[in-house]
Amino acid sequence: MRIAYENRFADIEPLLPRVEKPSRYIDHEWGTLSCPDADYRICMIYPDVYEVGLPNQGIAILYSVLNAQEGISCERGYVPWVDMADLMREAGVPLLSLEGAAPVASFDAVGLHIPHEMAVTNLLETLDLAGIPLRAADRGEDDPLVFAGGPSVYNPEPYAPFIDAILIGEGEEHLPQVCREHRELRDAGASRAEILRALADIPGTYVPSLYEVKTGEGCGPHGHAVPLDGAPEIVHKRVVADFGVTDPVPQSVVPFAQLVHDRLSIEVLRGCARGCRFCQAGMTYRPVRERTPDQIVSAVVSGLKRTGYDEVSLTSLSTTDHSCCASVLERLNRRLEDTGIRVSIPSQRLDSFGIDMAARVAGEKKGGLTFAPEAGSQRLRDIINKNVTEDDLERATRAAFEAGWRRCKLYFMMGLPGETDEDIVAIAELADRTYELAREVVPPAQRGGISVSVSCSVFIPKASTPFQWCAQTPDDEVKRRQQLLIHSVRNRAVRVHYHDADTSLLEAVLSRGGRDIAPLIEAAWRRGARFDAWTEQFDLSRWEEAATECGIDLRAVAQTPCDLDDPLPWDHISSGVSKGYLLREYRRALAGETTPDCTRTSCTGCGVCPTLNVSNVLVGERK
Amino acid sequence: MSEQDSAARFRFRARYVKHGRLAYLGHLELAHTIERVVRRAALPYAVTQGFSPHMRVGFTSALPVGTASDAEYFDVWLTDYVPADVALRRLSAAAPADMAPVELSYLDLRAPALTAEITRALYRVELTPARGDVDAASVSAALEQVIGQGSIPYVRGRKQKELDLETTLVSADCSPSDEGRIALDLDTRVSNEGSLRPEILIAALDRALCPAHEFEGPIVSSGIQDLYAFRRYSVCRTAQYVEDADGSLLSPLRAGETTSAPISVSSVPSL
Repeated sequence: MRIAYENRFADIEPLLPRVEKPSRYIDHEWGTLSCPDADYRICMIYPDVYEVGLPNQGIAILYSVLNAQEGISCERGYVPWVDMADLMREAGVPLLSLEGAAPVASFDAVGLHIPHEMAVTNLLETLDLAGIPLRAADRGEDDPLVFAGGPSVYNPEPYAPFIDAILIGEGEEHLPQVCREHRELRDAGASRAEILRALADIPGTYVPSLYEVKTGEGCGPHGHAVPLDGAPEIVHKRVVADFGVTDPVPQSVVPFAQLVHDRLSIEVLRGCARGCRFCQAGMTYRPVRERTPDQIVSAVVSGLKRTGYDEVSLTSLSTTDHSCCASVLERLNRRLEDTGIRVSIPSQRLDSFGIDMAARVAGEKKGGLTFAPEAGSQRLRDIINKNVTEDDLERATRAAFEAGWRRCKLYFMMGLPGETDEDIVAIAELADRTYELAREVVPPAQRGGISVSVSCSVFIPKASTPFQWCAQTPDDEVKRRQQLLIHSVRNRAVRVHYHDADTSLLEAVLSRGGRDIAPLIEAAWRRGARFDAWTEQFDLSRWEEAATECGIDLRAVAQTPCDLDDPLPWDHISSGVSKGYLLREYRRALAGETTPDCTRTSCTGCGVCPTLNVSNVLVGERK
Repeated sequence: MSEQDSAARFRFRARYVKHGRLAYLGHLELAHTIERVVRRAALPYAVTQGFSPHMRVGFTSALPVGTASDAEYFDVWLTDYVPADVALRRLSAAAPADMAPVELSYLDLRAPALTAEITRALYRVELTPARGDVDAASVSAALEQVIGQGSIPYVRGRKQKELDLETTLVSADCSPSDEGRIALDLDTRVSNEGSLRPEILIAALDRALCPAHEFEGPIVSSGIQDLYAFRRYSVCRTAQYVEDADGSLLSPLRAGETTSAPISVSSVPSL
């Protein structure tokens, strides 16, 4: 018997006074949409705490489209912070949905969002707190179907055994289709196995239990998945061909709690074709689709009216690439004058146009600007296809300091393919030059406010990118290069931050491993690993012990390149970008050849448009 | 900043509640929600001028997380007049039910801020005893003992502090309540020198009622107390008042030059 769908708020209420931020658990926010009487219920869960998960736009979109379906109710769930999780286990209270405060295990389906690899232990934490068997193979007829989806599904193998069906690509059409099919088959009395087999026929749906991992000669160190029972050879991602007809204001819930991103978000375009070779999102969100300026402006106005936010962010992978960015900002500034409402754009394009756009939204208050040159030398920027030149950089930073900004953060990656010590020293030189430029441009009286900092993360080779075959630079070597960077910066005023090499090692293991990694994840979680994305919660030693127990060498997984001729563990999942294109891009990288952006030149042959029968949709000429 | 807000021509004050689950909201969460309610209500709010323009709004003093209220207030400055009943209706439609604005009236633009004007706060505490010998009579006795000591030492953050009951506590009454609970009605004085956080008094009562228990360190002022004599407790701010010159208590909505009729535009000083 499935556990009853009933309100159990009385079970957690006594725990609220004892936990940090009780507002994470109280629900009753403005704008919730679920309808408790529906005959099909799904609980969408973000695998982190409330204030990290609530701003997620993917869940906001799915929440809105699912609740608009006849007879389907979608509620939300988040992972209780460690204090609450421990109290709930002690008190024997299962994980509850937010709106109905009902046991998550009482739903027909549970949808797990996969924002990044480091969330995997929280998937297990979620399932365990909910009382759902961790492995799909151990679940019975009464257990909910466990779906997963989100940005980090292009190598789902490490967590595949924990999930019943993984939805690849954009979910706004796909997930309602899967839920309707599930409901129909459930009502017809189909078994769990029959339902899953049928779901695998819906394009974009990967049912891991229908794939066998083949290992041995020529299969690569982690094996590769082979379909059984007529499941598709390759699962292609789903994509919304006509982005313009989707609801531009899916966000409805206005939280009480102070969030990481506490604002209205309007997705102004989807996809990015700049083609940075390390960037998974740049490959997997293609093609590029822009909303029209009219749609954006009216979405901002109606969204603000409905939610009452005092900030609106125009989101996308590269908002300043929108062909009508300048006119949209101009119109919004006029509309929002004297309201105290701010407009923000998430990232700065590295040229003077980018600064011009940033200046339009900054008003009087100019905080810091972040630029991402990604690599220190032109040679390495050509390898990664970051198409900005030294001149672009200098013009952008000069324009920023002239426009009144005083704080500038430069973002780089370390351990990129082909990187040498000269490239690391070049990062330091670039930072020093930026600082000197600031001193030259900024009036003497204001020089005290100048701040230039460098933030350096560790390159992680990701599936579905031209660098998917690459090894991660060994962690000891990363640490040496971090020291080299610190000692190469001449100006003491330039601050250097770098990412923890331990976290990056694990992220690479989870990005590059196959289904053989699943026992490692489970063993690490059993040793207490959860909230691994939180620096203060992450502890590599749990993973190292788990690896020893499972007979896995973490460094071998992260630091061995893949053979170009072997099948990859994720070859059966496709973003629509062809493997041939990725390989061509990889070879061009090694040769230092760049590839242009197809929204500004002509088609570069990535394969997305013909494979998925879609095309770039631009509403104007891109500059 | 107020002198520069030339667009601020009207000011209303609203009373709202903090009930049910929303008692667990913190002060900033509450304040941000009120601002969002005002924007959703599409009232013509005035915006401060300067570096970081924002809505001109004022609040009452912070309530601890977990404390409910029947009587919280906020002031909003407007650029245009909206009849009080219309404004109240629009705010109510835009607010969560447990934070509903219930009363609203206009007041003088230059009336003192809520935090400056309010000097009295009433609380009702409901205590659920953890032991049979804890009842209204024994809590009354403990109360007398604690009041007799004059002040309660406690720690807030890293600071050693002292809650002076002689200046902050006007009266305290203990009586039996429903389902075996004990009600404690507190009348407290709020001033720049300090105010009474009911949970510190409750913690002191708990210690007085458990003489045999070895308490570790001084009372810590956090939102929620770990208690031994009581299984649970709840606190509700039931009223807040402005004291006038002769000591009588006025509603913050009726204080000073408050008028429910619109202030004519000509009476607003030109800035």
